[in-house]
Amino acid sequence: MSAGDWLRYTWNVKYLGPAALRINRWLSEYRSRKDPRWNPEYLAPPLRTSFRNKELVGRHWLEGRYANLNQKVAWVTSGAPVEIFKALDYYVLYPENHAAICGTARVAVDLSSEAESAGYSRDICSYARTDFGTLFSGKTPVGNLPKPDILVACTNICQTVLFWYRVLAYHFDVPLILIDTPFVYYEEASPHALAYVKSQLEQAILVAERVAGKRLKEGRLREVARLSKMASELWLELMERNTHHPAPISAIDQFIQMAPIVEMRGDPVTVDFYAAMLEEVDRRIEQGIGAVRNERKRLLWDNLPVWYRLRYLAEFLGEHGIVLVASTYTNAWGELAPMIDPDGGLDAMARAYTYPILNRSTWYKLETMRQMIEKYDLDGVILHSDRSCKPYSIGQMDQRDRLLKEFDTPALLLEADHNDSRSYSEEQVANRLAAFVEMLGA
Amino acid sequence: MDEDQALSEGINIKKWNDRKNSNFASFYANMPNENGAIEMSSTLQLSIPGRADSIRSFKANGGRIAGVLPIHYPRALFRAFNILPVEIWGPPGIDPVFGSAHLQAYICSIVRNALSFTQTKSFQSVDILVVPHACDSLQGLGSILLDFVSIDQPVIPLYLPRSGGMNQTAFLEKEFETVYQRLESWTGYSPSQDEMMQRILNEEEADQKLASLHKQRKNLSLSDIEFYRLVRAREFLTAEGFSEIAQKAHDQVQDQVLDGIPIILSGILPEPMALLEEISRMGGHIVADDLACSGRRLYPPGRSQESFLRMAESLLGAAPSWSWGSPIQDRLEHLLTMIQTSGARGVVFYNIKFCEPELFDLPNLRRGLQELAIPSTVVEMDINDPLSNQTLTRIEAFLEMIA
Repeated sequence: MSAGDWLRYTWNVKYLGPAALRINRWLSEYRSRKDPRWNPEYLAPPLRTSFRNKELVGRHWLEGRYANLNQKVAWVTSGAPVEIFKALDYYVLYPENHAAICGTARVAVDLSSEAESAGYSRDICSYARTDFGTLFSGKTPVGNLPKPDILVACTNICQTVLFWYRVLAYHFDVPLILIDTPFVYYEEASPHALAYVKSQLEQAILVAERVAGKRLKEGRLREVARLSKMASELWLELMERNTHHPAPISAIDQFIQMAPIVEMRGDPVTVDFYAAMLEEVDRRIEQGIGAVRNERKRLLWDNLPVWYRLRYLAEFLGEHGIVLVASTYTNAWGELAPMIDPDGGLDAMARAYTYPILNRSTWYKLETMRQMIEKYDLDGVILHSDRSCKPYSIGQMDQRDRLLKEFDTPALLLEADHNDSRSYSEEQVANRLAAFVEMLGA
Repeated sequence: MDEDQALSEGINIKKWNDRKNSNFASFYANMPNENGAIEMSSTLQLSIPGRADSIRSFKANGGRIAGVLPIHYPRALFRAFNILPVEIWGPPGIDPVFGSAHLQAYICSIVRNALSFTQTKSFQSVDILVVPHACDSLQGLGSILLDFVSIDQPVIPLYLPRSGGMNQTAFLEKEFETVYQRLESWTGYSPSQDEMMQRILNEEEADQKLASLHKQRKNLSLSDIEFYRLVRAREFLTAEGFSEIAQKAHDQVQDQVLDGIPIILSGILPEPMALLEEISRMGGHIVADDLACSGRRLYPPGRSQESFLRMAESLLGAAPSWSWGSPIQDRLEHLLTMIQTSGARGVVFYNIKFCEPELFDLPNLRRGLQELAIPSTVVEMDINDPLSNQTLTRIEAFLEMIA
């Protein structure tokens, strides 16, 4: 790095940017106390730690702006074995999270249109289209994205990421590491599937080392894995606090607070952040504060959130005393915590990264939902049929039927798209939600 | 031919009736005769047994039938257990209501129809169902069939690896071993290494003959629809049966016999098959293809003397495609090579609605062709829809442009 670049990086990333983000956090806290954005009549005030989240995530993207000056950059999928790349000091960027930020900032449709103008169909994942839109237009709410030195796609969340990252590899002409995780149709993955994943992890390390220009140190990998496990355990504990009545942190809060566990797994600040959030949630429990002021019914959310309508959903349900207590989506980043074994080497890593819920059968997902209904004492389920996420959505029609018939649990299938508001009809959603609320007797 | 018979032949009776009243007169030249066989109207004297005939005669000899969903699978492995794999690409034009009760509207018609097909009378001839893992939708279908939708036949999922390199081959070899064990426990039979190898050699011979038919495309006196009826018979004939017919076609190879505006068809499958007739009528001629059901499955022989490994080597030697995780650059280069060797003047991307893997590759493939001044067009279809005027107009305009 040249002296000029060093100065630019240090000034912006270490001093100016963090100071601006801290001031922004204070201002947000102040404004929120005076005039909360989300209807305080039905919803509890935001967690104080949520402002810290904004600052934390802001710093992560700020580092990203200048990352090409300072370190190697890896673009990775949300289910990728990030510990390897963190331990090799890559700056790790999650295009899915970037797309979700664009969704909440309501710029995803504009960006998708850019991708569609370049020939990408509206029938492909809206996360992918959003990010392609940023590639082609340079527009992003996070300033700018650093160019990747390496791409890492792990198919444990969908096959779509493979097709998506092949496009990125073609565009950037950089190595694509593919971790192909065979789908688990039965209760256990086969031994040869686990051996296959492990051998790919070994190959991935070699490529990652070559691009990074340094060797992976075993101790450092273990340390990152330990931090990853700690953060995942804290995240799981946080969600499990919702066994209390009233539930202290709704699934909608969890959607907003999950960014660090996805994109900053393996960082010490992430552990500190969730430890602080857990303390605050415990204080809420002591004081009897619920995420929804007058909690009458408790629901499960299945699939990705509708990023551009989180507030609407929270307020609509809150008005009827309904709280989304749990979600299979946020649960996915916690349920694997027991499987993360810092001392287990690549065998343990292969297991942990083969077993995310999205890489498991439709029966397994139903069983997870059943357990969550029991554990969190839930009254019903909303299954978001997400046009942009086929692997998550396939099976939902049968799962809904089983929930109704076998578990006697009301379930609603809600058609939408996690990022593309053009595939969302407020009128239709409102009607269906209203009918569901009536049926629940809320 | 009654409706049941037509369905068992893989022919949709509604469309068949529609077509009876249409002006696609030449289409009937290739319809199965009353014995279920397809007589070619060209100068080649070929008779291809129909799908139902093929199934009936195989079963009559004590064999069993595996219904196989797209795209790749080891044929020889099933034949070693005296099971005939018969492929299910939808099938097109069946009533999709059952599938729609289990799958959302944004799932492709091949998957929806396949699920619906499991509830038909025709499906009763299937003894076991194989679901290769080609995409998220087929993955989901396999899972639904194992978990929720009860069918009488056992379901075998098969994961196709995408990582590239040696570990991909090693995994596929093990995956085949697992399928072997499942078939062994289902049939109570354990084929020897020699039996397996014999079946592999038979399939490899049929594969080579299939590849040779593609290579000799210009020298075969077959219209496009006849050619695709011939090569797609590989989807349900035994290797031996197919090799025999393919050899007859080879024996009648001539100097270049076909003309027309040469194009390449890329996509999943050429349905409805009347499309091929229409392309000929418009003056086009498909000189090569990059179709998942056809040109992407020209498997070279394996090298190993170990049966599972050899089958894995063979499958992984197919043309680059997303189903193996091949880079887009490789797909583009493959297309360019095909264009160069076949003399094609343009490419028609004939996509199935909601087929995400194809849709991801499309813009870069088209851009790559455009940079070399090779025209291309995109047509989107649903296998339940009749051939629309819009589709035909687009293809006709494209042919006029490149003529």
